[in-house]
Amino acid sequence: MPEAPFGVLALYPTAQALLDAIPGIKARGFSSLEAYTPFPVHGMEAALGLKKSRLGTLVFIMAVLGAVSGFLFEWWTSAVDYPLVIGGKPFNSWQAFVPVMFEVTVLFATFTAGLAMLFLFNKLPFFGSPILGSKAIRGTTKDRFGLLIMPEAGVLDVEAASAALLETGGSEVEVLAAPDSTPPGLGWWLKTLSGITAACVVTGFGTAWAIKIYPTLPPMVHMEVQPRLDAQKADSFFADGHGMQLPPVGTVARGYMPLLAKSPEEAGKELINPLPVTPAVLQAGRDLFNNHCAVCHDRLGTGKPWLTSAYTAKPADLQASTYREAPDGYIYYVIAAGKGAMPSYAADLSANDRWAIVDYVRALQRSQHAEPEDVQ
Amino acid sequence: MSSGSGTMVRNLLLLSAVGLSGAAATYFVEGPARFWANWLVWMVFGIAVGLGCLFIVALEHQVQSVWSVPLRRVPERLSSLALWVTPLVVAALLCLPVLYPWARPEGASVPAVVLKSAWLNTPFFIIRTLACVALWFLAYRLVVKRSFEQDRSRDPMITVRLRRYAPLVLAIFALTLTTVAFDWISSLEPVWYSDIFGVYLFAGTFLSGLAATTLGTLYLYNRGRLPGITKDHLYNLGGFLFAFTVFWGYIAFAQYMLMWYGDMPEEVFWFKQRTTGGWLALSLILGIGHFFVPFLALVSRKAKTNPKRLRWVSLWVLAFMLIDLYWLIFPAVGAKVRLGWPELSFALLFLPLGLLAARAAMAKGEDTPVGDPFLQEGLEFRL
Ligand code: HEC
Repeated sequence: MPEAPFGVLALYPTAQALLDAIPGIKARGFSSLEAYTPFPVHGMEAALGLKKSRLGTLVFIMAVLGAVSGFLFEWWTSAVDYPLVIGGKPFNSWQAFVPVMFEVTVLFATFTAGLAMLFLFNKLPFFGSPILGSKAIRGTTKDRFGLLIMPEAGVLDVEAASAALLETGGSEVEVLAAPDSTPPGLGWWLKTLSGITAACVVTGFGTAWAIKIYPTLPPMVHMEVQPRLDAQKADSFFADGHGMQLPPVGTVARGYMPLLAKSPEEAGKELINPLPVTPAVLQAGRDLFNNHCAVCHDRLGTGKPWLTSAYTAKPADLQASTYREAPDGYIYYVIAAGKGAMPSYAADLSANDRWAIVDYVRALQRSQHAEPEDVQ
Repeated sequence: MSSGSGTMVRNLLLLSAVGLSGAAATYFVEGPARFWANWLVWMVFGIAVGLGCLFIVALEHQVQSVWSVPLRRVPERLSSLALWVTPLVVAALLCLPVLYPWARPEGASVPAVVLKSAWLNTPFFIIRTLACVALWFLAYRLVVKRSFEQDRSRDPMITVRLRRYAPLVLAIFALTLTTVAFDWISSLEPVWYSDIFGVYLFAGTFLSGLAATTLGTLYLYNRGRLPGITKDHLYNLGGFLFAFTVFWGYIAFAQYMLMWYGDMPEEVFWFKQRTTGGWLALSLILGIGHFFVPFLALVSRKAKTNPKRLRWVSLWVLAFMLIDLYWLIFPAVGAKVRLGWPELSFALLFLPLGLLAARAAMAKGEDTPVGDPFLQEGLEFRL
């Protein structure tokens, strides 16, 4: 028995003509039909009697899987494997994960839809449907409507099928031969593999030639390539081969004054406040104090924190006589080195900032313990 | 009218009267704030259903959609609800000093509110409200009224004219709905602001309009009054409900996530309120009920053509629009979740009235726009 063809194809002039033809063809006993139209035609699914596609269920399952794996991935990276505080949020913040979950859901769903359609339902790797080689293909991608009668259980009466198509208003009937389904031989493999290799070689050399051997114009490198040393890069200029060198021992950064004293008392004896008390200094000191110190010491320095009762440390009352009588250097030292529960402010406040705060603290103390002559 | 429906009307009116006495008692026993908060919920609900239907009508004309022509009479009829609620809107102007801090001297002097005083002041608020009401009547005239005339005159030019006015009606819709959102809801907490809030209310409004349209369509469909309407038409309604369920979820979450991330005090306190105490439970119920349940109920293709499924999802969506409004409005007037006889009274007062208004509206004109030249083509629509 000769092998059945892929099918018999005919063209119809309008979508309506095609829809109208289908019942007639079914009445003649052909039920394995496929339509080729340049755009989706309303009512076609029902006319062809297409069964509900299983694609939707598959996509739904994969989408749910995508959402779950998106969440697990986010949770594992940000709460388990590499917890970083971001914006003060808890490590495991589902709110922040939702956008990623959403994207992964869409990714899984679209890839499933696309690949499942190609492999499961369109039977890839069966490249090149015979339709592509038909004469009708030009029409069905433009302004004609094709109908294909396919064999049922491997059998197709070509004569009867052609007649059915013609009688229902079809024209340009053509019989499409079944694609060759014998497995490819050695020659095919040789041809294919050497073709792929040749393509790789040509592109590889072509690219190398275009960017290395023929670089009359440097390609756009933005600002990446510059005649300077980058941090962390190797360089032959120095003997040790490092581009970045350690500063010589004893180097001090500009504007940085190391704290040599070992205790506030020592600092109080050694250090002298270099800043004059001027309105500008007091103004600066006030801003710095209110920004850095007032949360814990209150605006007046009374040591009543604005924090909730969850903060249990007791900030010092800067109005107390101990601190009114302590020398400037003492307070300067506490700002720089911290004390007990109070952190060091060395990284946030420069030497001048600290002295300005000290001047302002003095002003605060005097404002709360004014002498009669202060108010005259 | 048969005597059976006569008794039904009487019973509904009776229920409403019971609700009215409960509502009045609320004013005196529980205080005006709770009274007006309930009032606001039902008022905005009515606006949402009515304007949602009006939007569906205008949208059909704007995009010249044909499949929906045979169903258009339902949203056309129900859009009159937007006009029925206007007395509630005008009466609600009395509540400004009760509910809105910016309308009280001590509330208006908060610095963040002073900045907004050019917009949030009583005279301008009243002007805006009256303008919205007037614009709704205008929009109804432009895009709905003539369609009923077409039943008799069969003049195809009417369709052309309706389509011409559609963009204007859409502009009116966008403008007035955003005003309702900002004025009546978000200014309850005048310090708070959210740029997306108008879109949030729009999502709920469109969903409410769709749900009402679906219910109206099924009402006629089940009684055989929509010959020629197939599951393919129902599928589109189901598809719309599904799509805008997702849209609501997207917008609601977008608003929440940005504020949660930004953590700005003038924004985040609004969500803080709604995620502490009993409000947290309500927020969770809202997220699950307004998004996940209809999403899962409608995700399959079969569900979108199943009249029973569509009916309960539509009722569900309307119920969650109410819960959504309660969730938006009530935290501004009381610290705790309060659901009791006052809320029940208001439901008894307004639900029967709304049903009666919808019933009267559903009797207007033919069941399909018989004069529309696209009717036949719309009936032939298949997936
Ligand atoms: C995080 C809260 C906090 C901040 C901010 C803070 N402090 Fe303190 N401070 C404390 C606490 C707590 C103590 C008491 C420490 C102890 O006695 O163990 C303290 C003690 C002190 C003392 C007394 C130290 C001593 O020797 O008894 C001084 C002076 C002082 N702070 C100055 C400042 C200044 C100036 C600033 C601003 C740069 C500042 N503090 C910012 C919490 C704070």
